[in-house]
Amino acid sequence: MAAPTIEDLTAKVFEILRDEILSAGSDFSARSNLIDAGLDSLAVTQLMLSIEELTDVWLDESLLTAESLESAETLATLIHERLAEA
Amino acid sequence: MTARVDKLPHVPLTGADCFLRAFDDEIRRKAGANHVSQLVLRLGPGFDVDLFQKLIDHVAHAQPIVRAPIGRRFAVGVPVYRLNATSRCAMPGVHVVDADSPPVPGSKLPDLFAKHLNAPMSAKRGELLRFDIVRYAGGAAGSDLAASWLHMLFDGSGSEIFIGWLDACFRGASTPEELPCPDELAPAAPPAQTLRERGDGARAWQNWLRGFNAHPPHSLAGPLRRTRQALHYARLQLSAEQTARTVETAKQRAGFLTPTLFYLAAAIRAHHAVFRARGTDPGSYVVPMAVDLRPKGAAKAMFRTHVSLVWFQALPEDLDEFDHLIGVLKQQRLAAIKAGQIETAVHAMDFARFAPKRLYAHMSRNSFRGELCSFFFAFTGDFLAGVDHFFGAEIRDGFHVAPVPPSPGSCLAVSLRGGRLSATHAYQTGAFSARELEIFGEQLYSDLQG
Repeated sequence: MAAPTIEDLTAKVFEILRDEILSAGSDFSARSNLIDAGLDSLAVTQLMLSIEELTDVWLDESLLTAESLESAETLATLIHERLAEA
Repeated sequence: MTARVDKLPHVPLTGADCFLRAFDDEIRRKAGANHVSQLVLRLGPGFDVDLFQKLIDHVAHAQPIVRAPIGRRFAVGVPVYRLNATSRCAMPGVHVVDADSPPVPGSKLPDLFAKHLNAPMSAKRGELLRFDIVRYAGGAAGSDLAASWLHMLFDGSGSEIFIGWLDACFRGASTPEELPCPDELAPAAPPAQTLRERGDGARAWQNWLRGFNAHPPHSLAGPLRRTRQALHYARLQLSAEQTARTVETAKQRAGFLTPTLFYLAAAIRAHHAVFRARGTDPGSYVVPMAVDLRPKGAAKAMFRTHVSLVWFQALPEDLDEFDHLIGVLKQQRLAAIKAGQIETAVHAMDFARFAPKRLYAHMSRNSFRGELCSFFFAFTGDFLAGVDHFFGAEIRDGFHVAPVPPSPGSCLAVSLRGGRLSATHAYQTGAFSARELEIFGEQLYSDLQG
């Protein structure tokens, strides 16, 4: 199976956050700040578990920074980099 | 949307409420007090006491849950806030004391605040909330305010939302009739799981805890015995420079989103320093930590408790290296979340809604031979984030005093306010000697400084 593109991952991360993890309003987008949208440590772990199910890659929380949690896009970029290394 | 709850006859307690109610009942029977939590504000000049009193009365009429008797409607069933039975219940008390000498920054808090941690409140009579205010020089030199509540009406997060909402009402940005989260008192949606699934979850949670029994914990106060509750508290506050360093260190060593584990590790090592000085065996350190279950990014409910629990266990040999201990806690947190412990804890606490209080408390203590855990711990992050003033007065400082039963007799609550970290240690008098309190504070300070 081909590795997912950044665009695929962005869409998936955004979907999980919007539908399963955050109770964000209609203005929540793939470029919204995740911390401002209410993402906390528990939500991140739940997200990482979903990502692991999807990609078989565990993204250690120690890799997460304020920059990588800037948006679903930046988080997807980090996951993509990690997938490339795996 | 406006939410008026005075039309509702009753509001059921959550599972977490009932879990706390079981221990409140235990403290009442065994220690002559209640499970009372406190939020403390140190205010500058300008606090309008008269308006505050009037607004509290208004809130108590508009939102009767703040003075509603708690009990079961019938002999069995879920305990409720009886919103339609408040006619004989007193308004939440607002007690003002005048003091001549103005407080100096960092000065000792009024003794009466600690006193009210130990004063009985009656859930059956709707005594759920009270305010104690000490005015310095008639308020011209500032005031100290303690909100004390029975730890069911709010959890720590809910109490901050409540205080922020009271100030919003004072400023005209909200009204006592309008709750920040309009649906918060609406009947809960039926659980998605079947009764059998929830039962299995509760058993899985119980088995998880039993797994700790290879090294059962011993608290510094020892197993529960009949004794008068006499909580007091000591507070360690770091400077802005120290705090900046500590916060950065916590993120680097425990993770950007999980600095809590850094503070928990420091709390464990502070308790261990006392055990070592005493020359007694802690067994292991078993500590529960509350997890906020409120929806992320949505308006937050303030009344009732909305938490689950994650449990940690650290053995004495895990404690020598601080980073190793953090690693152990990180692994346990991840394993707990992966194993669904947050959900199963909710199922287990849900059973407290139906079980007799005394039986539930007995069962909880039975797991560890009369101990509940090693100590309580809470990290609540930024205290009253975004709220700078309260009824016209600048908030100079503020923090939580988290309650703890006489056993385990020790609770550390960590929070941040104004760029300064505050660690408030509530303890049962007699559980620590004066020298042991010093040892505890020295070890905590040293570890927080990295």
